[in-house]
Amino acid sequence: MIYVYNINKGFGEQQVLSEISVNFEEGKTNLIIGASGSGKTVLLKAIAGLHPIDAGRILYDDMVFNQLEEKERKLIHKKMGMLFQGSALFDFATARENVRFPLDFFTDWSMAKKNERVDFCLERVNLEDIGNKYPSELSGGMQKRVGIARAIVMNPRYLFCDEPNSGLDPQTAIVIDRLISEITHEYNMTTIINTHDMNSVMAIGEKVVFLYEGKKEWEGSRENILYSDNKTLNDFVFASEMARLVKKSKF
Amino acid sequence: MIKKTLELSGEYILLMKRVFTKPEKWRIFWKQYFVETESLGLSSVALIGIISIAIGAVLVIQTAYNIENPFIPKMYVGYMVRESLILEFSCTMIALILAGKVGSNISSDIGTMRLTEQIDAMEMMGINSANYLILPKLVAVCVFNPILMLFSFLVGILGGWLIVAATGMITLSQYAEGLRFAFNGYYIVYAITKMIVFSFIIVTVSAMYGYSPKANSMEVGRASTRSIVTICLLILITDLMLTQLMLN
Repeated sequence: MIYVYNINKGFGEQQVLSEISVNFEEGKTNLIIGASGSGKTVLLKAIAGLHPIDAGRILYDDMVFNQLEEKERKLIHKKMGMLFQGSALFDFATARENVRFPLDFFTDWSMAKKNERVDFCLERVNLEDIGNKYPSELSGGMQKRVGIARAIVMNPRYLFCDEPNSGLDPQTAIVIDRLISEITHEYNMTTIINTHDMNSVMAIGEKVVFLYEGKKEWEGSRENILYSDNKTLNDFVFASEMARLVKKSKF
Repeated sequence: MIKKTLELSGEYILLMKRVFTKPEKWRIFWKQYFVETESLGLSSVALIGIISIAIGAVLVIQTAYNIENPFIPKMYVGYMVRESLILEFSCTMIALILAGKVGSNISSDIGTMRLTEQIDAMEMMGINSANYLILPKLVAVCVFNPILMLFSFLVGILGGWLIVAATGMITLSQYAEGLRFAFNGYYIVYAITKMIVFSFIIVTVSAMYGYSPKANSMEVGRASTRSIVTICLLILITDLMLTQLMLN
């Protein structure tokens, strides 16, 4: 479980997150949705420890993450995996080396054992034959899948995904969504996903948190979204004609 | 201006604090060290060789042209070329050239990694990205640049030798006599010390500019330019200070 209590974050004069409190549940895909500029990425990166917060508390189980010493924070970081918006694969390394990177740093395994684990992770994301290719030689969808393989190689307890579907065609986006959801349930991880893709919300959103102008506006399940009378949420979720038709058909 | 300088100094000190920590694994550090030696050091050998040979030749021509007084022995051409190369050209001028080549390389490489979230990805894994990315570069450049400096010195001498042989403006024996005349070994220590300090400035300052957060690709370019300007200024100021300290 990850608990976030009353966190605030600003950059200079600009307040980006205000008084946000939310619980992210274990073994579930927790989605943070909101318009561009609503603070989704800042919130995700603050939870992951990449942005220091100005006030509030972030708890990983019973440990106050933002008050820990660097050594202790590092131990929690080793239990995290993250898929970045642009995949963030290392340009200097092949797909296989990218996935093996954390193993090289944090295990004393033999090369054969590390390769076995890398093969397993690449197979898990359905990429068996691209291990020797560099990120620039891979499609966007493949890069995301290598990113997922790298994120899960250390068997993390917490998985963070920042806009996993951005820049992908709808079919590939569904593949990535399903993969994240399957992995979450398979390994009982606490997964937090940032998205503004409503297809993802309806497909895998077991818990949904809606941010509006840096504040938590609404939270609930994907089913609750269809029946919510929150105007700001409805304006965001049912912005498209297709979404409005879906809502009408539900009633 | 003062506020900005103080902010930059603070940023620099905080970054250095993260750079100078024990590497997670020495095996990975040494692997990176050899990679960086190849990409930042060995790749500069040809450039430094060409520039040094040309400068050595030009120094001979200019010095011979300016020593027309029959009371000044011709061997002073070799002496002047040796002193100019070791005291200033092979360390300070080569450092300024490397500031452009190596400094911009480091700044843009790290800047691009920052922009594409590769540095965030390392931090997420629990890796000290500053230590992993900067320390091997720093050690590689500080070890290899003094070797490059000695190489530049020898190639510069060779350049002078070639022009003397080609033009006959002085005899080769006069040139060789000048090279051996009143040689002070301390100058080599002085030049190596300067090169190590300059190398430290080149790597750490360019890394700091690259490492700072970036909003877009234009900022990567701007950071690279700013880093080279800052490095050049710092090299010139440090050159003055070290010369005053070590030769006075």
